[in-house]
Amino acid sequence: MTLAAAGTTVPAATVPPTLPLVTVRDLRVAYDEHVVLDGVDLDLRPGEMVALLGASGSGKSTLMRSLTGFVPVSRGSVRVAGHDVTNLPRGGLRTLRSDVGQVFQQFHLIPRLSVLTNVLTGALHGAGPVNLVGGFSSAHRVRALQLLDRVGIAHKAEEPARSLSGGQQQRVAIARALMQQPKVILADEPVASLDPKLAGSVLRLLRQIATEDGIPVLVSLHVLHLALEHGDRVVGLRQGRVLVSAPTARLDAAALAGLYEEEDDDDHDL
Amino acid sequence: MTTTSEAPARRSAPPALPPGERARLERAFSVPRARFLVGLPIALVVLIWSMGGAEFNVVELGEGTVNMGEFLSRLFPPSFAKFGVIVELLVETLQMAIVGTVLGAVLSLLVAFAAASNIAPRWLYYPARWVMNIIRSVPDLVFALMFVSAVGLGPFAGILAMTLGSLGSIGKIFAEAMESVDRGPIVAMQAVGASKRQVIQYGVLPQAAPLLVSYTLLLFEGNVRGATILGLVGAGGIGLELTTAMRMYDYGHLSAIIICIIVLVTVIDQGSALIRRRIT
Repeated sequence: MTLAAAGTTVPAATVPPTLPLVTVRDLRVAYDEHVVLDGVDLDLRPGEMVALLGASGSGKSTLMRSLTGFVPVSRGSVRVAGHDVTNLPRGGLRTLRSDVGQVFQQFHLIPRLSVLTNVLTGALHGAGPVNLVGGFSSAHRVRALQLLDRVGIAHKAEEPARSLSGGQQQRVAIARALMQQPKVILADEPVASLDPKLAGSVLRLLRQIATEDGIPVLVSLHVLHLALEHGDRVVGLRQGRVLVSAPTARLDAAALAGLYEEEDDDDHDL
Repeated sequence: MTTTSEAPARRSAPPALPPGERARLERAFSVPRARFLVGLPIALVVLIWSMGGAEFNVVELGEGTVNMGEFLSRLFPPSFAKFGVIVELLVETLQMAIVGTVLGAVLSLLVAFAAASNIAPRWLYYPARWVMNIIRSVPDLVFALMFVSAVGLGPFAGILAMTLGSLGSIGKIFAEAMESVDRGPIVAMQAVGASKRQVIQYGVLPQAAPLLVSYTLLLFEGNVRGATILGLVGAGGIGLELTTAMRMYDYGHLSAIIICIIVLVTVIDQGSALIRRRIT
């Protein structure tokens, strides 16, 4: 049975038939004897939003981190925005990361700094010599304010980030990611700390970015209906392996349920 | 939609809490653990041993109270005949403390970068910590004597002693303030492709700033008090005047000096407490 047949909302956006910006093949990540990811394949195409599902400890965060060199890859190939992540040249790691916008569950803003400065930090990779004394160019400032307009927080540009609500902080974090002019956006449980209303608005914003800017978004989620409502495709991990990979319209409910079947082991975060 | 409810119920029983542990956790008053029952007598024995070695004697203190009262009575009335000299030397003490604190804080900040485990590489971290440990174990008076012999009598020697002394104490505290910051913004800065310098500038320093300013103010307070002592070895400030008044049994003048120091230190303490409250 497909979820579409069961009456689930299917997103209108369709996957464009273009070359993927993220290509993962036969990815294995292991720490000593402990295998976290094994045989993972993943493609992300421009303009699509892919929801990454799986129980705690299934390897979602590790997969995200392996795309930006935060965890070492034991085997397989990982190409992100033209970078071969497993074989980066000297200085290539910073360039790779500057091409990938990342959004985190806990926002990771700098609490005491202003909202505008937090957004500007997204341009650190190309900030130039003016940044040696803590400055940013006018062009960067203009762009940061435009992004704050886009996420609806421009009126709070000068306020410290810590004074914002959770939903507003996540919007600032998204603006920071956009400031990088990213080719790909990775959002690791971006709505796990937000209430359902704010979660919906943040995911709609990410959806809009994917559709309007053509930036592929990989978003890991814990809530199934959010994945089905906002994602073009769902990739489901179980014990470090891809159990489900299909457009949301053709998802098999039984397979999705299998993602959350309890293990005999204790839960552990990866 | 109820996709998850279709999952087969294959729930294994969670590990059980042993009955003994459960009973212990349920008791209103818990029996101290063995390490506490062993540790407390050891701590008491060490305390009694230390009191014996240090000739700590409450009876003797009681008997000496009369002498203490007599000494304190000699301090009154204070004599402000040389008030101008006292103010002049207090200003010099304050100036020494300001310069010593600024130099000490700047150098401490630089050393702290090398001594913070979340910033410095291992090969730099350990030597930086060792250097600070060595500096911290040497009393400021020894540094003062060293610099008096190097640059002669006067406040400059005191400033140098204060700066070096600060490096050992405040450098370690600065490093620990940097280590205690939330790792989230650091990860975020690494994630945007920031350089090491930028990660420190945006991920570490803004978070550590309130603590760094607070510790610098504490250092300043300590340096004002410390500057009064350094004068004992000729390293400038009001310390020499204080010692001279004591040696000359000029208790009125001594009392005036002490009152002026108390006023200065209190004003500085209150001012820095106010600033600390605003920034933290």
